[in-house]
Amino acid sequence: MISSNQLRFSYSAQKKFSFPDIHCNDKETLLILGQSGKGKTTLLHLLALLLTPEAGDVVIAGKSVKNLTPQEITATRAKNIGIIYQRPHFVSSLSVMDNILLSNYLANQREDRQKARHLAEQLGFVDHLSKKTNQLSQGEQQRVSIARSLMNNPNIILADEPTSNLDDDNCQRVIQLLKKQSAQIGASLVVVTHDQRLKDEFSNQVFL
Amino acid sequence: MNLFKISIANLKEKKLNSFLSALLLTLGIGMISLLLLLNKQLDEQFKRNLKGIDMVVGAKGSPLQVILSSIYQIDAPTGNIPLAEVNALRKNPFVKTVIPLSMGDNYQGFRILGTTPKYVEHFSAKLAEGHLYNASMEVTIGSKVARDSKLKIGDQFSGSHGLDSEGEKHEDKKYKVVGIFQPSGTVVDQLIITRLSSVWDIHAHSEGANVPAVAEVEHSDNQTHVDPEPDEEGKEVTSALIQFRNPMGLITIPRQINDNTSMQAALPSIEINRLFSLLGVGIETLRTLALIIISIAGVSVFISLYNSLKDRKYEMALMLSMGATRTRLFLMLLIEGLSLAVIGFFAGIIASRVGLWVFSQSAEQDFHYSLGKFALLPEEIYLFFGALAIGVVAAALPSLGIYRLNISRTLAEE
Repeated sequence: MISSNQLRFSYSAQKKFSFPDIHCNDKETLLILGQSGKGKTTLLHLLALLLTPEAGDVVIAGKSVKNLTPQEITATRAKNIGIIYQRPHFVSSLSVMDNILLSNYLANQREDRQKARHLAEQLGFVDHLSKKTNQLSQGEQQRVSIARSLMNNPNIILADEPTSNLDDDNCQRVIQLLKKQSAQIGASLVVVTHDQRLKDEFSNQVFL
Repeated sequence: MNLFKISIANLKEKKLNSFLSALLLTLGIGMISLLLLLNKQLDEQFKRNLKGIDMVVGAKGSPLQVILSSIYQIDAPTGNIPLAEVNALRKNPFVKTVIPLSMGDNYQGFRILGTTPKYVEHFSAKLAEGHLYNASMEVTIGSKVARDSKLKIGDQFSGSHGLDSEGEKHEDKKYKVVGIFQPSGTVVDQLIITRLSSVWDIHAHSEGANVPAVAEVEHSDNQTHVDPEPDEEGKEVTSALIQFRNPMGLITIPRQINDNTSMQAALPSIEINRLFSLLGVGIETLRTLALIIISIAGVSVFISLYNSLKDRKYEMALMLSMGATRTRLFLMLLIEGLSLAVIGFFAGIIASRVGLWVFSQSAEQDFHYSLGKFALLPEEIYLFFGALAIGVVAAALPSLGIYRLNISRTLAEE
């Protein structure tokens, strides 16, 4: 479960954002739509605790993050939030399998190879586990980053433009997988995008 | 998964960069280690053969040449000196021992040295088999001579004139091997030792037609039969090794000899120091060069990590967003630098051993000296920590950027 309350952020005196409150329960999905420059990524980073808001609060799994230390914020993020970025990025020197396991390792969790393999099977890239990530297509890479975001059984999955670089087929596939996987682990799924193709896929929507 | 695994994967990802950094370190470390090895072994070889010899007298000429030819057997002698003048030194109260040496022939490049039993005693050479030469034309050979020339007890051979194996052969007179020394690590290993009289015999132009191939001398097992102090009128020797009874000898005798006789006195301690200071210039230059190469290696590690960090900024931000602490990533980068340093160090140590082996082969061929000691030197432990320090510093400087990385901006930029 994730919700925000009167979030405000400014990069400079001219570039100020104030965001509408959002709320997404466990097992629910939320689409945040907005054109470029409306602060979509800023909002996502605020929700992902990568940025600290000027005002307002974020509540993650029922707990306000307002007065947490940086270490606690890092730990909360690693444990509760799975993030999928617009362009899938990986540690390029490691294999697909190791990149997925990395989220276990960095969150100080047990490395669960079986789970990684299971996710790879479901997301359809089990044959590529020992390859380097840059040998995969964009669609495959995006599916790997979905698997990576699911490894620690997060409470919330945040996706930043997960489909904007994909063709229609891959777009459909990725979004269906995202919905299915987050429903399986009972997480809240929040997708931030300007991709109009997703409009009909989500019942809860917020416009920036 | 651990930091070490990620670091090694990163190094492998940039194979050429890593190779260049490690190669430069290997070169620098290898050069310094080779210099240390050579320095130590040359020093040991020189000291071991020098022990107890306070002065060498020889014909006038370069004193360094007298030392090199008489003690180390690696240069041509300066000429001959009368035996009578050498023996006159025995009367000086400061002189303890006088060991006359006579050379001029070789067998397969191994020098044939005519001397008195004192020489063998001085180097405490022990017999491995057979007995010490007794009579004229009998020889006892060093362990290396026996190994390389395949001479055995009872074998006869004729020496060649001069100090290299190309010389004209003394076909008419043959030496006979009667004993072989144990390896001693001294110059004795590479010598064929005989009586002074053998050298005279072979160079005396005997008119007689019926000179036997091997000088027929009465054989005796009793070594005391060897003339301990030969003193023959009109005979010449090449040089003589002198030991003093007390250091006072050093002050007076060399000047007396240089002023009043046809001989010159050379002091090994002074000449060898001079030789080492001459060599020292070269060694110093090489050492400086090696240090420069090591510094460049450090710079190379720095640049390659700095560049890869720029390329991997997003990766770092990603790992930070996934729960990595900055210190953990800093350590990861540090391990990359340290791994290169460790690889460079061990490759350098191996390279220096290979270099020493090659050098030893040519030294063996040219001078019959072998420098085959490959054990790790204590100085190389310091070298190891030096290499680690370079790795740490070169990796730490660019990696400090991790602490200034703005996660959100880096992730949003791409």
